[in-house]
Amino acid sequence: MSMDKKKQVILSLKNISQSFVVKDEVKPAVENVSLDVYDNEFLVVLGPGHCGKTVLMNVIAGIEKPIEGQIFLKGEEIHGNDRRIGMVFQSLNLMPWRTVMGNVEFGLELAGMEKKKRRAIAQKYIDLVRLTGFEHSYPHELSGGMKQRVGIARAYTNNPEILIMDEPFGALDAQTRYAMEEEVLRIWKEEKRTVIFVTNNIEEAVFLADRVILLSNCPAKVKQVYDLSPLGRPRDLMDPEFLRFRTEISDNTDLAL
Amino acid sequence: MEKIMSKINTSNLSQAEIRERRLEILYKILPVISVLLLAGLWLLASRDFNAAVGSGFPTPTAVWDRTIRLFTRPVKKMNLIMHALVSLRRIGIALAFDWTFGIMFGILIGWFPKPRAFFSPLFDAFRAVPPLAWIPLITLWFGIGEFPKILIVIFGSLASIVVNVKAGLSAVDSMYLNVGTVFNATPTQTLLKIAIPSSLDAIFAGVRTSTSAAWMVVLAAEMLGADSGVGFLISRGMDSIDMPLVLTGMIAIGIVGAILAIVTQFIERLICPWTRKSK
Amino acid sequence: MSEEYKVKVEHLTKYFGDLHVLDDVSFNIKKGEFLCVVGPTGCGKTTFLNLLTRIYMPTRGELYIDGEPADPKRHNLSVVFQEPSAMPWLTVEKNLRFGMEIKKLPKEEIDRRVENMIKLLGLEEFRDRYPHQLSVSTAQRIIIGRAFAMQPDLLLMDEPYGQMDIKLRFYLEDEVIRLWKEMGTTVVFITHNIEEAVYLAERVLILTNKPAKIREEVKVDLPRPRKVSDPEFIKIRNHVTEQIRWW
Repeated sequence: MSMDKKKQVILSLKNISQSFVVKDEVKPAVENVSLDVYDNEFLVVLGPGHCGKTVLMNVIAGIEKPIEGQIFLKGEEIHGNDRRIGMVFQSLNLMPWRTVMGNVEFGLELAGMEKKKRRAIAQKYIDLVRLTGFEHSYPHELSGGMKQRVGIARAYTNNPEILIMDEPFGALDAQTRYAMEEEVLRIWKEEKRTVIFVTNNIEEAVFLADRVILLSNCPAKVKQVYDLSPLGRPRDLMDPEFLRFRTEISDNTDLAL
Repeated sequence: MEKIMSKINTSNLSQAEIRERRLEILYKILPVISVLLLAGLWLLASRDFNAAVGSGFPTPTAVWDRTIRLFTRPVKKMNLIMHALVSLRRIGIALAFDWTFGIMFGILIGWFPKPRAFFSPLFDAFRAVPPLAWIPLITLWFGIGEFPKILIVIFGSLASIVVNVKAGLSAVDSMYLNVGTVFNATPTQTLLKIAIPSSLDAIFAGVRTSTSAAWMVVLAAEMLGADSGVGFLISRGMDSIDMPLVLTGMIAIGIVGAILAIVTQFIERLICPWTRKSK
Repeated sequence: MSEEYKVKVEHLTKYFGDLHVLDDVSFNIKKGEFLCVVGPTGCGKTTFLNLLTRIYMPTRGELYIDGEPADPKRHNLSVVFQEPSAMPWLTVEKNLRFGMEIKKLPKEEIDRRVENMIKLLGLEEFRDRYPHQLSVSTAQRIIIGRAFAMQPDLLLMDEPYGQMDIKLRFYLEDEVIRLWKEMGTTVVFITHNIEEAVYLAERVLILTNKPAKIREEVKVDLPRPRKVSDPEFIKIRNHVTEQIRWW
């Protein structure tokens, strides 16, 4: 598959640094991270341990302000939250007092869209993630995989240009994870957006990504960027080329004991 | 035991499971045994006491008779149920006010930092006053009519609801607040659509505790100057050395209190089903 | 050389009311064998584990250790659960001693085993720390060390590395193999992760969906340390995946 189209940079991070507070100590979480994200690519941010990745995503989504650095969306600098960036959270943050439909349409409700219109949009994405029929169920009635899909539908409903997924499958068992990885690729193919997918699972990264950005352990710095387009799609977990990439990335990854 | 065991289909169970089932049945029987034991002790004690000292400790039969008489020959033209309803009416009015004002005030000082800082010392002082301590003050100012009684209940159970609502609103999970940030929610939307719904379980805890507090306070207020209500029945019994009446009153108080607790819990489970399941 | 089985499971069946969870599961384990159990999500693996540890009682069937019915008073069973279960009020060293002290082993023996385990796990500098001062993975390693130090008749592990990243997972899997080789314990390791099962096991037991039966037993005869890119490894992994695949 030749790369005819010149890839456009849609998001650019320059020299982002951020710290976090743990037990009254201020520790650096992200140190001088710069990276580019291309339009409509599936970018995976891979890093060991539990430090740095979520903080970086919070900075991009506008939940946190970085100590240093700038973020450029389509060439203009953005400060804080921007509606064009949506997020699927690690622990989902589904509101237990709202139904599936209530959760999915939440963003549009806040934006003031009238009920009929926003219900139609929300329904489209509920159908996309294959949860048709569960519109009136409550989150506590759903399985882990299903809850994840609600989170994805909710993020899509706000029509973001960039979708951040912060370790969405971390709490799922290995097999449900495989199922959800295939599902997320299917959804992405059907409704193409730029995706920034965060994970600590190397196999998952190699399965999903167009490119992988490997971060070091705490404090997070960019270690290396891998281009996985030679692998083509769909990918086979046990293909020798796949395993070769996996081993290469694994050897380069820090061990976070 | 055998009869009970034979009623259960044991075809699918192993020895070990049969043993488990037996234990479960035992756990259900034990509370019944304890109540029966208590009733038996009561019978014995009242009989022996009366034999030794003369009248004073009513037997169960005496209490039962007195209860029936409350219906056939009402006190102050009301039978037991009507007295109970009078007490309930008083706390109903008081709680309606408490909940309306208390929830709004609790949200105010729970969510907004400046009012919280401003009102904290005042409210903490108010909280520290035990509900019954309001009785002398209010009686002095307003006498012993209907209004001061309701006022006593209002003061006595206000702290419970405010404290719980405040706790809920000041500890909204940042998970949900982050969702609001990403979706660009205005401060009003954050309060109305995220903070308050997420605090529903705390608000209901406040409803529950204020209800039980109100029930206790109203009885005290009635005992100290009323002519209706279950608390009044008890003081009437005391004045006329009518021990069965006193005990009837106490049992009625216990039963109504238990019913109130069950009802509020049931409503909470209806409105907030996720609080049980999400654990 | 007698082919003595350390553990015999015969016709293990479990109903929860009308729900048929386990159906006539029978298998044997040799002394010192490392057995992995995999199955599709939701097939009843946790119930299976709970039956082996006697947390639940079976509807039918029996578990034999050394030829006698399993009895917590006579036999030594150790379990490592998915959630870290280190006692937060004990230091690392005291945690390692814990199980043996309950079983009232002699002090010199406990000292010897604990020292050995600390060395094997490389926890020398952590011995006086408390679990909350350590990472989740280290806390889990302590639990596993504690379980092995008990030298149990049967060691059961239920997805102990569930949420950890792959690099860490491989490190921990190598460590568990090291402990196993050193102590010669009979191990049953339950997991959803097929690659992990093939990496660790001498034999893999594949369960079906509810009501769970044994679908197949797969021997894994590969030399250690195993390589996930090895064609033989891939063949076995593929085969097991095909048997389980529901997605």
